[in-house]
Amino acid sequence: MSNDAATTSPLRPEGAPPADEAPTRGLGVSLPAADTRAKTEGTFPYASDLWAEGLLWAALLRSPHAHARILSVDTSAAREMPGVRAVITHEDVPGDSAYGRRIADRPVFAADTVRHHGEAIAAVAADHPDTARLAAAAITVEYELLEPVTDPERAFEAEPLHPDGNLVRHIPLRYGDPDAVGEIVVEGLYRIGRQDPAPVGAEAGLAVPRPDGGVELYLASTDPHADRSLAAACFGLEQDRVKVVVTGVPGATGDREDPGFQLPLGLLALRTGCPVKLAATREESFLGHAHRHPTLLRYRHHADAEGHLVKVEAQLLLDAGAYADSSAESLAAAVAFACGPYVVPHAFIEGWAVRTNNPPSGHMRGEGAMQVCAAYEAQMDKLAARLGVDPAELRLRNVLATGDILPTGQTVTCPAPVAELLEAVRDFPLPSLPKDTPEEDWLLPGGPEGAGEPGAVRRGVGYALGMVHMLGAEGTDEVSTATVRVQDGVATVICAAVDTGSGFSTLARQIVQDVLGVEDVRVAAVDTDQPPAGPAAHGRHTWVSGGAVERAAKMVRTQLLQPLAHQFGMSTELLQIADGRITSYDGVLSTTVMEAMAGKELWATAQCRPHPTEPLDASGQGDAFVGLAFCAIRAVVDVDIELGSVRVVEMAVAQDVGRVLNPAQLATRIEAGVTQGIGAALTENLRTSRGLVRHPDLTGYALPTCLDAPDIRIVKLVEERDVVAPFGAKPVSAVPVVTSPAAVAAAVRAATGRPVNRLPIRPQAAVAAATARG
Amino acid sequence: MLIGLMVCLHPSRTLSAHGPEHVPELPRPACEHVRYGHTGGMAWTPGRGSWVTTHAPRTAQSVTLPDSLDEAVAALTAMPAAVPVAGGTDLMTSVNRGRLRPAGLVGLGRISEIRGWRYQDGHALLGAGLTHARMGRPDFAALIPALAASARAAGPPQIRNAGTLGGNIASAAPTGDCLPVLAALEADLVVAGPGGARREIPVSHLLAGRELLGPAELIGFVRVPLLHAPQVFLKATGRTGPGRATASVAVVLDPARRGVRCAVGAIAPMPLRPLEAERWIASLIDWDGERGLADEALAAFGEYVAAACIPDPVPAAPGEEPEALPPAVLHLRRTVAALARRALGRALS
Repeated sequence: MSNDAATTSPLRPEGAPPADEAPTRGLGVSLPAADTRAKTEGTFPYASDLWAEGLLWAALLRSPHAHARILSVDTSAAREMPGVRAVITHEDVPGDSAYGRRIADRPVFAADTVRHHGEAIAAVAADHPDTARLAAAAITVEYELLEPVTDPERAFEAEPLHPDGNLVRHIPLRYGDPDAVGEIVVEGLYRIGRQDPAPVGAEAGLAVPRPDGGVELYLASTDPHADRSLAAACFGLEQDRVKVVVTGVPGATGDREDPGFQLPLGLLALRTGCPVKLAATREESFLGHAHRHPTLLRYRHHADAEGHLVKVEAQLLLDAGAYADSSAESLAAAVAFACGPYVVPHAFIEGWAVRTNNPPSGHMRGEGAMQVCAAYEAQMDKLAARLGVDPAELRLRNVLATGDILPTGQTVTCPAPVAELLEAVRDFPLPSLPKDTPEEDWLLPGGPEGAGEPGAVRRGVGYALGMVHMLGAEGTDEVSTATVRVQDGVATVICAAVDTGSGFSTLARQIVQDVLGVEDVRVAAVDTDQPPAGPAAHGRHTWVSGGAVERAAKMVRTQLLQPLAHQFGMSTELLQIADGRITSYDGVLSTTVMEAMAGKELWATAQCRPHPTEPLDASGQGDAFVGLAFCAIRAVVDVDIELGSVRVVEMAVAQDVGRVLNPAQLATRIEAGVTQGIGAALTENLRTSRGLVRHPDLTGYALPTCLDAPDIRIVKLVEERDVVAPFGAKPVSAVPVVTSPAAVAAAVRAATGRPVNRLPIRPQAAVAAATARG
Repeated sequence: MLIGLMVCLHPSRTLSAHGPEHVPELPRPACEHVRYGHTGGMAWTPGRGSWVTTHAPRTAQSVTLPDSLDEAVAALTAMPAAVPVAGGTDLMTSVNRGRLRPAGLVGLGRISEIRGWRYQDGHALLGAGLTHARMGRPDFAALIPALAASARAAGPPQIRNAGTLGGNIASAAPTGDCLPVLAALEADLVVAGPGGARREIPVSHLLAGRELLGPAELIGFVRVPLLHAPQVFLKATGRTGPGRATASVAVVLDPARRGVRCAVGAIAPMPLRPLEAERWIASLIDWDGERGLADEALAAFGEYVAAACIPDPVPAAPGEEPEALPPAVLHLRRTVAALARRALGRALS
């Protein structure tokens, strides 16, 4: 799709050596991923393929109601079924009966109340998956139906859905003068839908009891140590008797694993003494894991007559679902970035995350930041229209730069080349209209066999600027530990950072190749016997785990070079490793890395811990973020203005990446992010009706296909090194997801003249009178 | 005639037949062992005999693979609980979700007589086993263009390679893409019954539930008139890639009878035919001349079709204002109008 884009992109600057002479290892080259072969040949160990002798199959009984009181649970019929080995409910949880990321508010099994559709009530282990499912269905639960609270605006005055109340967090951000007013005021109300992470493979796992009374969980976990802690607390075991082994993760764009099935799995294994496997169906997957927060946003932007922003007032309401999960963090990001990468002298943002009986919300790429981006960019378009200024020009008058202050009071110290990014996408040539090519080759909105008619198609161009924070915010202890071992010319990286498809394992190999000059680098499989590396979220492994790997590799390098340096009477700093050779500054010493390593086994372990952050205070102020990443996108769309069908023609992306570590992998991450953003803009919305999920399948929940993915042109990658980040590199995956929905909405707005204040964009919102733009 | 075709997975066994203390012999497959659904791979292991395995799948006890339509009917007669399966694109999703647990399957994939088509007095007799992929090919498109277009639009290639014409009719999903085309073509179904019986029923009767398939009856063929005139199928979906229709329209011209036939799919449980709109527009067309119509006439046809398929609400009492249609329904009506206008415009151009 973007082959031609890659050749025109700055990834391969002119004058670079041709491919056969280019280096094939180290940082900055497109090292292919090590697991590509296993994935294409079908030998990659996906969790759903796991097997153990004599295993049992688990099935969960999930609530068919969004809100109900449980009067009784009768498991006798299920227990009596032949082949059923165990049936467990909330009474069978030996340890903590509730779990949660920050607040333990979520029961493993619903005890007296169900608070969302699909909440687990009981689990069954049987010797065949069908038996397990039949047995789960045979459990009789008597419910007293309660009125579900599905409108987050009603959550404030509704009866508390949870003992903790309905308000998860409230942030009233106050920055500047509340009485400031602008000459021009634009207002808007925006709604963002519920995007699902829709992981490639549905959740699956295997629990194997250990002879010591502990249990091993084989999961496609993205944060094994956190999952281990939750599990140990729930099982009532010491942490060292629970081990989480990470099996092949089939890609994750958020929390791909759901403790709601991991915990019953382990409980069943401990109860039966047999290995227990669970493989969720797609329907269960949709019901079980966390989604992006549906958000309601109300904005008022004040600007002066030249279009400089004066004040932003906003109210943000995040629907957290029934349990808190990571909603507090999502809300912090939403409030902090509510004004976008613009200089705003006065900002008053009220943000709430509230409990409802809707499906659970949690961590998903660009959480919080994506919802507000769609809204503030719509406001910028409104302001541009009101002033009669070009939308890109209006944005350029307000963009943020290094040294400016965010509405949270934090000074932007990292590179913030926002203006440069926007100019790059604005000045990139627009794609040509297809009018000179044969009509059969046109891909009109609606697809190749769709109903598109050239006469009704209008083209629109829209811009968006997005920002996202990197690493955990608000005082999270971000630390990662890595070990590098070298023996017989082979280096091994041992680090519990899970590669969710983000390419961390490839990056780790490149780092070690770069530092040690060893070609053959392997990355060990991850389990919780290794020291923790933290969650695979907010691009933190590139930064924190990458930094730890680099430090460990450098320690090994010192151990390797010290004897040589000593022998030649010089310090190790005067020796360098390049292309597999060790040379001294004066050329006296020249040997290969392999020779120097012969017969040695070298180990080193190191940690990386970025500088600390602080929580937002009572008025939303504080240095909450370690670093920020920025992106500018120009979207070009075709809209069939009679049917309201939209096709994204091209997305031109310019991104602030710090430093390119692996060009091919970087391009892939940006393309994936943009495509996910297009899904959020056009089709992806998990619909509910009175709290019940409708169409929990991939027919009803339409993901972008290859025909929906546009040409993605990486116009510019700004390599301005972030001095506090290892290698100066910024994580790249999240910010395109944040920015692209807003860009698509802006382009549809330009094509149709309609306000487009709801994502995903419904066809009726993209219908325009044919005279609107002639 | 079916000997050697019955493929047993395991002998019939019900859950209640064995108590926990009873350990059955692991049954030996009668002949070819067909894996079906979750066979899992774990069998009951001798020596671990303290518990009963229910591992033998109860989802399908037998799979029959007949070679002819009559053999298939005979297999269904012999085992009334068995379910016929052709492409399985709808059936298997239900099985995999545990919503359907057929006692047996009669696979129709080996019946060569229903996998092609032949001419029969001005009609094409299409085998029910024709796949969407086959119908989408140019030679078929030259014969029945609208059916070919609907087959090409029916889903991703994997689905079109497996899904069949007969299956599309039998599952009768509201969004079935072939259905409005068959309704507009006024196709007839040739239904095979026990004892070599054949009867014909109009496709619309089956879709509307006026006539049903009897026990052990199978859709064998679809009789479609060859009209030698333009036909158009248009479909509106939510995305550029393959997706379910939000609305679809088929328009076929029948110059011999000087008729226009139109059917609207996906907005109701069965395709809708706006008969008055058809008659009105047919009367405006100069059948012996250019056949073209003014844009206003095409637009009026679109509105007529849409209003017929999605009527205004009737006022609760005479003289009262009727309730307004919700925005989503109004959009659907606009979509149908645009599709019908475009389809007729393309058919007449």
